[in-house]
Amino acid sequence: MSAPTTVAGPAPASARGSRRAAGVQLRGLVPLGVLILLCAVISVMAPEFSSLGNLRRLLSAAAIPMVLACGMTFVILLGSIDLSVEGVIAVGAVILSLLVANGVNQNDFGLVAVPLAILAGAALGLVNGLIHVHLRIPSLIASLGVGFAGIGVATLILGGSAVPVTDPLVQSIAFQRLLGLPGIVWIAAAAVGIAWLIQEYTRLGRWTYALGGGEDICRLSGIPIGRVRVGVFTLAGTFYGLAGALCVAQFGEGQALIGQGFLFTVITAVVVGGTSLAGGVGGILNSVIGVLVVTVLSNGMVLMGVPPEYQQGVQGLLIIAAIALSLDRKRTRFVK
Amino acid sequence: MTNAPRAVLAANRAARLRDFAPLTALIVLIGVIAAFAPSFLSVSTMLLLGADTATLFIMATGLTWVILLGGIDLSVQSVASLASVVLAVAVSHVGGLAIPLAIAVGVVAGAISGFAQDRLRIPSFITTLAVGGIAAAAALVLSGTRSVPLPPQAAGAVGWITASTVGVSHVIPIALVILLGSLFAERRTVFGRWTFAVGAGEPAALVAGVPVGRVKVGALMISGALAATAGVVLAARLNSGSPTLANEFLLPAVAAVCVGGTALTGGVGGSLRTLIGALIVSVVRVGMTFVGVDVFAQQIVFGFVLVLAVAITIDRTKIPVVK
Amino acid sequence: MSGIAPPVLSLQGISKSFGPVVAVRDVTIDIRANEVVGLVGENGAGKSTLMKILSGLFPPDAGEILHHGRRLQLNSPLDAARAGIGMVHQEQSLLPNISVAENIYLGRETRFMRGGTIRWKAMRDAARRQLDRVQIAVDPARRTETLSFSERQMVELAKALTLEEETDGQIVVFLDEPTSVLEDAEMRILFDRVRALKSRAAFVFVSHRLEEVLELSDRIYVMKDGEVTAEMPTAEASVERLYHLMVGQQAHAEYYREDRQLPCGAEVVLRAEGLTLPGQYRNIDLTLRAGEVLGIAGVIGSGREALTRTFAGLAPHAQGKLTVRGQTVRLRSPGQAVRCGIGFVPQERRTEGLVLPMSVAANMSLPSLRRFAPGGVLRSGRERQVAKDWVRRLTIRTPQVETSCANLSGGNQQKVVLAKWIEAGMRVLILDHPTRGLDIGAKEDVYDLVRDVCAQGVAVLLTADTLEETIGLSHAILAMRDGAITQRFDAAPGRKPSQLDLIRHMV
Repeated sequence: MSAPTTVAGPAPASARGSRRAAGVQLRGLVPLGVLILLCAVISVMAPEFSSLGNLRRLLSAAAIPMVLACGMTFVILLGSIDLSVEGVIAVGAVILSLLVANGVNQNDFGLVAVPLAILAGAALGLVNGLIHVHLRIPSLIASLGVGFAGIGVATLILGGSAVPVTDPLVQSIAFQRLLGLPGIVWIAAAAVGIAWLIQEYTRLGRWTYALGGGEDICRLSGIPIGRVRVGVFTLAGTFYGLAGALCVAQFGEGQALIGQGFLFTVITAVVVGGTSLAGGVGGILNSVIGVLVVTVLSNGMVLMGVPPEYQQGVQGLLIIAAIALSLDRKRTRFVK
Repeated sequence: MTNAPRAVLAANRAARLRDFAPLTALIVLIGVIAAFAPSFLSVSTMLLLGADTATLFIMATGLTWVILLGGIDLSVQSVASLASVVLAVAVSHVGGLAIPLAIAVGVVAGAISGFAQDRLRIPSFITTLAVGGIAAAAALVLSGTRSVPLPPQAAGAVGWITASTVGVSHVIPIALVILLGSLFAERRTVFGRWTFAVGAGEPAALVAGVPVGRVKVGALMISGALAATAGVVLAARLNSGSPTLANEFLLPAVAAVCVGGTALTGGVGGSLRTLIGALIVSVVRVGMTFVGVDVFAQQIVFGFVLVLAVAITIDRTKIPVVK
Repeated sequence: MSGIAPPVLSLQGISKSFGPVVAVRDVTIDIRANEVVGLVGENGAGKSTLMKILSGLFPPDAGEILHHGRRLQLNSPLDAARAGIGMVHQEQSLLPNISVAENIYLGRETRFMRGGTIRWKAMRDAARRQLDRVQIAVDPARRTETLSFSERQMVELAKALTLEEETDGQIVVFLDEPTSVLEDAEMRILFDRVRALKSRAAFVFVSHRLEEVLELSDRIYVMKDGEVTAEMPTAEASVERLYHLMVGQQAHAEYYREDRQLPCGAEVVLRAEGLTLPGQYRNIDLTLRAGEVLGIAGVIGSGREALTRTFAGLAPHAQGKLTVRGQTVRLRSPGQAVRCGIGFVPQERRTEGLVLPMSVAANMSLPSLRRFAPGGVLRSGRERQVAKDWVRRLTIRTPQVETSCANLSGGNQQKVVLAKWIEAGMRVLILDHPTRGLDIGAKEDVYDLVRDVCAQGVAVLLTADTLEETIGLSHAILAMRDGAITQRFDAAPGRKPSQLDLIRHMV
């Protein structure tokens, strides 16, 4: 019936308020400090880290996680979670790869197919949100189901094989350079810009924060909670769909397992950036830093000769460390 | 507080649905398949079904303990894969001892998740996601990212798992022993009672002096142990260990638990229900294969079956805000 | 002074029940323009139900609400906002993680939108104008959690006053226990603002701090047991008179089983020396003897809740010494408290008292489960037998001991809670509002039980719903104010202190 009783009641407030304010600001800077420290350590241990070529490689590697993080950040700001990432990527990738010139069928719709892939992602996000809101089940399970269904759909369409993409335009998205940086980096930057505008200047973005801060109060203020939630999951799906398209561009093919590993990376990145799993705290700019931390770390490990199979393990430790350092544990007495 | 009678009525209705729907569904499903293919009801088919279900059931039973507490364990498939690799690598050095060693690895993985949840106050879905990542990485490193075949000399140490006696594969009695052990723990031990109490009402359990933190760690350790056991059985059946061996198991395992009627919100359910849930998942899979549904399309079906089962079973009065 | 003005808001015969419990009965209240109306009553008198009705959270069962003489239908919080009814809550209704300006206009951002985007400057300017009017210099762009408590309260006030922009008539602002966590100086500022703002709005000041109500209000309504029992101009009111109206007449001594109040034993089972938890309570000295009922009296914010939870192991003390049955302890968890022999009967019976979905028998055995499981195996037959014994001895009305506690009435649930602690052999019981929400018969059963356990040498620490209950049941009473004990009263039968004695040391 009632929320868990918090023991620490409203204490004499003014001192507590300002101390808390200082804490909030300091904590916000920690991920940036970690990033800088990481870069410094790696460039000392592996000098080629700071070479222009490597920085370009680094940004390319960060692009797809960055686009995904644009979607995931909004979901986590709500206090929810979205495990459908890999499934939605798969659907987006398969749709794009089958509609452009490819090695399997005769289609050649060119870049018109990209918006279709994005739209497919949005549709899956919409389904995800509708299930979560209207069947009133936790987003964890709704998105787990939708994610597996997405991989199933993608596998079903392809029968388990990969589709090589022959359309040179699609490839050029990833590799055509503009001002020295590959196209995919610019697309990711644009995605961040759009996500930031949505976060700062639209009602959807502001209400996402409000819901993460406290849903009861939002209900009293007349905010259409269900619509906001569905909207956020749709928005997230849109970004995952775009990421699926970028995967095709980067890997030159479409297949159902193309998104494998990205879920883990993106959750790590968002959390490491300082967006709280409890909702309401953090944002897109945090996630930019989070993605860079994760990418720099894996890039640095490669440069220092650590085999890639260690990656997931390091990310796992990173998640736990980041949350352990960030959570305001007084508020969450009952952890499920 | 408001409208207590109506809430109680609704809860009772939901409880009845949870109690009888899974078994009814299982019988109907078997009936439908048998109507199309009468040979489905033969003893040999049933034994095969049982053996095929065993691995999933073992993993889902461990998961049941975590879900009974209202948590979740997303690391089960990685832990199972890791256990299979540990078994395959260790069996040539230590023989039969590789089996307890592999299971011990699962226990440790569960303990790490549990301590992270209890001490660091991180929700179980994140700790187990992270530990799953660590386990997956460990499996990759240990196996050299390849599948590791069981060496010929493992036949004696591991072979008994998949051997048969009078036509019954040994994995069936193994699963039955695990079922009985789990049922006993649920119904007749202090730990089992504590688990239900924490799942059904954590604040009251805490006030009553139940060591809530230890119960959570314990449940995740059980889950890790049984996931590892499932990995061992799987490795024995496929005659190899691999870092991706159990990769398609998480969704069916969660589905088996939820379809059986164990509520994601905790406090309701148990391993007998999970047995029914696992059988439903197996029968649905057999049925779909029979009707000609693609193996991959089955994931879609399981995804939606899971969503539906959760929608029916969860107790919404316990989560005022569904996140 | 405002007697001739027509009422802005008029409640006519409002009633509301929840199941069998009548929360509000036939309440008629007028709120006129430019006046401050005081609304006083004890916990459970119906004040908060009334405010929830006026917030549009649920409709009344009977009666109507007139707004400037016109009938008003409140189906949602938005309807209330449109009618100009604003709430300033005690548990503040501002989101900590967004800016002050966003909080002020939460849910009403549309008018600052152009081309689908929010014009921050317009919103902040509008917010700043509102903040200026309550004379608080806070940057509207600041994150709300960086504000002090009293600043946030002013922001809430400003937010409530923006309802002017929504409605033609005068607005009504409900101040729900606004002063209970404010420092004295902060309270002065709030009062000054309210007086200054009277020209723009009507205020309803809901509080149980009677002196403050007397200071601020023009007119006062008293509620008791869901009804308005009195209405008077402030000039005719006094603390004593209001309190008397709030709590009603003295109950009979038999009601609290005073004849069964035995002298307590000599053994000190619990002793606190200089116990302190910063922000909650300080320098608490007390002793609790076997067979004694020690009552703690104090208003919300007096620190008695936190003190109670300290003994239950839910809020460990920071300084001082706590001795339980000769051992110095710091209770870090309820499990530790149980091992020390302290059982907690919490106010939140349905969440903290019982694992509601579990059976009567399982709840009774929960704290002492190991005793029912020699060799690690539960003996459910013994468990059932013990539960049956308790059901019979305490006349718990339940079809079976296997019945889920969710199906029991509140009184029977409370008996299960008490049975589980007695069965577990606790030497100290912490009773936190043990009769909350119970009907009279069930209350009397609880009183009987308290006398029973005391006769067996169990010590009881009591925080009760009403002062008369505290006085009737206790051997001794500690009055608390602002986190400290202000007075100790002896309460032997025939020498019980009066409510006024206690109040003088509580407020």
